[in-house]
Amino acid sequence: MTEAHTPNPIPEFPNVLSILADKLEGQPVAHFLLQWESIIFSLLVIAILAAAAYFATRRLKMVPHRFQNATEALVEAVDGFICSVLGPRGRKYTPFIGTLFIYILAMNYIGLIPFFKSPTADWSMTMGLALIVFVYVQYTGLKEMGLLGYFDHLMGKPRGVMAWTIIMPIFMFTLHLLGELIRPFSLSLRLRSNIWGDDMLLAMLAGFGLKGLPVLFLNTLFVILAATIQAVIFSLLTLIYFALVLVHEEGEQH
Amino acid sequence: MDYKFALAFGLPIGLGIAALGVGMGLGRAVGSAMEALGRQPDAMTKILIVMVTGCALIEAIVIYVMVFAYGLVGKI
Repeated sequence: MTEAHTPNPIPEFPNVLSILADKLEGQPVAHFLLQWESIIFSLLVIAILAAAAYFATRRLKMVPHRFQNATEALVEAVDGFICSVLGPRGRKYTPFIGTLFIYILAMNYIGLIPFFKSPTADWSMTMGLALIVFVYVQYTGLKEMGLLGYFDHLMGKPRGVMAWTIIMPIFMFTLHLLGELIRPFSLSLRLRSNIWGDDMLLAMLAGFGLKGLPVLFLNTLFVILAATIQAVIFSLLTLIYFALVLVHEEGEQH
Repeated sequence: MDYKFALAFGLPIGLGIAALGVGMGLGRAVGSAMEALGRQPDAMTKILIVMVTGCALIEAIVIYVMVFAYGLVGKI
C-alpha cells in the first residue's frame, strides 16, 4: 500500500472492498468498488435480512416454534409499541417503521464484524433514509389535513384574537417551517455521527497495539449499546413525527 | 494572527463549551430520571426508555459540533 505524503488524520479500518480495491490498483473496478462500498454493504445487509425472513416464514405453524417464535415476538413488540402511540390506525405504518428499525439495526451491527463496514457511517446513506422519512411524513400530513389544514397546522392553529395579528401566524409559520426542514439533517447527522464516531474510536484504539486490548473490548461493548440505541432513536423519532401529524379531531386520549 | 491560529485556538474551546453544556443537560436529565425511579421503582422500563431517548437527543447536539469541527480541522 503506498503511503500518502501526509498521514490520514482520520483513522479507519480496512474493509473487504478497500483491500480488494488496493489489490486491483489502477483498474476502473477499483474506483467503482471504493465509490460504492456503502451500497454494496447495504445490499449485503438486505440479502441477509431477506434470507432470515424467508427462513422464518417457510413452514408457518399455528403454534410457532423457535425462529418463527422469536420473529413473531419481535414483530409483536414493535407493533404494540407503535399502536400504543398512534392508536389503531397505526397498524398501517408498522411495516415502514419496523423495517426502518430492523434495517438500521442490522446496518449498524454489520460494522462490528471484522473486515466489514457499517453503511450508516456514510452520510449519503443516512441522508437517504432521513429524506424518505421526511417526504413520507409530509405526504401523510398533506393527505390527512388537506393543503389548507396543513398550513393551518404549520401556523400553530391560530384562533380568535391571535389570527388577526398577522405578524404572529407568519412568525409561527416560519419557525415551524424551519423546524420541519431541519429534521432530515438532524436525523441523518445524529445517526451518522454516532456510528462513524464509534468506528473511528475503535480504529484509533486498535492503533495502540496489544496494550489497548481491554479498552478495545470495553469499547466494543459500548458500541453495540450505542448502535442499538441509535436505531431505536431513529425509529422512535419517525414515530413521533407521524404522531404529530396524524392528529385526530375526536377526543382520543391515550 | 492568521486564520490557522484562530482555528487551532477556537476549535477545542468551542468543543469544550459544547461538551460542558451537554454535560449539564444530561446530568439534569439523568438526575430527574433517578429521582422519578426512587419514587416509583416498578416503572423502571418506562422511565428507562424515556431517559435514553432524552439522552440521545441531547447527545446529538455535541455531535453536530464535532462534525463541524472535523470539517474545519482539515483547514488548519
